[in-house]
Amino acid sequence: MIEVRNLRKVYPGGTEAVRGIDFEVETGEVFGLLGPNGAGKSTTIGMLTTTVAPTSGTAMLAGFDVTRQPLAARAVSSVVFQDAVVDRSLSGRRNLELHARLWRVDGREAAARIDEIAAGLGLSRLVEREVGTFSGGERRRLELARALVSRPRVLFLDEPTVGLDPRIRAELLDVIADLRARFETTILVTTHYLDEAERLCDRIAVMHAGRIVALDTPDGLRAELGPELVEMRARGNPTAALDVLRARGVAGDDAFALGATLTIPLHGVGASAAISVISELDLASAISTREPTLDDIYLQLTGDRLAEAA
Amino acid sequence: MSAISPALHAPTALSLRAGMLDPLGTLARRRFQLTVRTPRELVVPLLTPIMFALVIAPALRVALHTAASYESFVAIGTAGLLIPLNTMFAGIGVIVDRHEGAQRELLAAPVPRALLVVGNLLVAFAVTALQLAVLIGVAVARGIHFDATASGIAWFVAAAGLFTIGMYGIAEILASRVPKQEEYIARVPAIAILPWFLAGSLFPISALPVFLTWAAKFLPLTHGLALMRYGLLGDASGLHNIWGMSSTTGMASLSLAVVGVFALALTVVAIRVFTRSAVN
Repeated sequence: MIEVRNLRKVYPGGTEAVRGIDFEVETGEVFGLLGPNGAGKSTTIGMLTTTVAPTSGTAMLAGFDVTRQPLAARAVSSVVFQDAVVDRSLSGRRNLELHARLWRVDGREAAARIDEIAAGLGLSRLVEREVGTFSGGERRRLELARALVSRPRVLFLDEPTVGLDPRIRAELLDVIADLRARFETTILVTTHYLDEAERLCDRIAVMHAGRIVALDTPDGLRAELGPELVEMRARGNPTAALDVLRARGVAGDDAFALGATLTIPLHGVGASAAISVISELDLASAISTREPTLDDIYLQLTGDRLAEAA
Repeated sequence: MSAISPALHAPTALSLRAGMLDPLGTLARRRFQLTVRTPRELVVPLLTPIMFALVIAPALRVALHTAASYESFVAIGTAGLLIPLNTMFAGIGVIVDRHEGAQRELLAAPVPRALLVVGNLLVAFAVTALQLAVLIGVAVARGIHFDATASGIAWFVAAAGLFTIGMYGIAEILASRVPKQEEYIARVPAIAILPWFLAGSLFPISALPVFLTWAAKFLPLTHGLALMRYGLLGDASGLHNIWGMSSTTGMASLSLAVVGVFALALTVVAIRVFTRSAVN
């Protein structure tokens, strides 16, 4: 449904926001682009929605080339932007109707869909109000409702839950999950919330500095670090401690240090054996074991904690 | 929240091409609703033409001891201020759309982006036409005399219409190039008001120093005003001051061509600039 080949964007001034990325998204799949601000996620969505002109490469939506057939590509897709993109002085219903008309939805059909979607998203009592009076969560729901009015084959969600309170965020995630489960809507979502990515996405591409540095299912990504890892606070020089543990066969190439904290994925070494070696060498002031998370993957790939970078 | 039920649809290339102009009405209707969402926003712009016709033109005639025909001269001259001001202020909506409105949603819609510019133009054109009609209507009610024939009205409408289109093109270009409203508004006097003083609005361009008379001949507004006066007053002196030819129709046709080229060129450039700036 989405096919991206060597897609690249260099902005005027020379900033290379996206550096030749490749990925495919199957029909009905929820695909996550994960990464900190500036990673190139929004530029990628911009190119796929034809609001940013690619410098080179190709991108296809439902078989339509976004550069050569932009109208057709836009007709099969909708987007919920990261920022508020609404006509505040118009009513919620008018914003929804506008989308329906521009996407050529028949008038009667549009009215029925608007009522259904507004009810589904808890907007029925709000849609007659001016959007300028909506809260942030209400406006976000309206924007999601608007994107659904045209029944898109491809739905782009650019940081859809930023700024929402936990309850509304959870409800929105349910709605998005429902789209995938029931109607095979292909969804490309960008986020820097790990729990959101794990909950929603069938596959995740981790972006860093304009490149995709990892692409797999959430379980697949975590599996790269093995079933368990040791996290320890180094007593002395963390780099030296890491070198010692590598020499002793406890740490592999995928172990990494962040400040005084060492994260050591365990491959072929049991947790108790690893802790025993670390204790014997008196390398740690604190030590624990746990299962790997996506944050560990991100940290290992980029050297930054995702939440901090975001 | 409960479940919702999107389904799938796939447009054909044929249906997209066939219905390419359909959304124009939707875009124009949206712009109109944003422009005149309260009665105040519809009524306030009408105060300017009413003020000119009822107060300023008669006051100028009394103060300058001129003939009644000067009121007619100034009434048409007022149109030369009304059109640039109205179209330039319409351009502010483009900046608001970009920063606080739904411009990106429109850019992601399956409509040619040129229609976004044309939709805005239609509304600016309609509001300007309303203001011009009020100006002329109030002037007539005030006793200002116009000597219009059917063909004269056609010259007036063509000149005013094409000049409005060209000026809106300037507004769109500026709005696409200038990042903030404050910077946009700071440029309005130089674009909308300065030429008005040079284009024969309050006095014939022949009254200007020679080099300014020549400069005035290159202003589209000079041609527009000369045509509008020719149309509604039967006064070809403005055209003669520009062209110096014996054929009135020939001079009018040349001036109309100037205003037409102005309108066409600025509209084409406005669409190009908007489209490029919107995706970068």
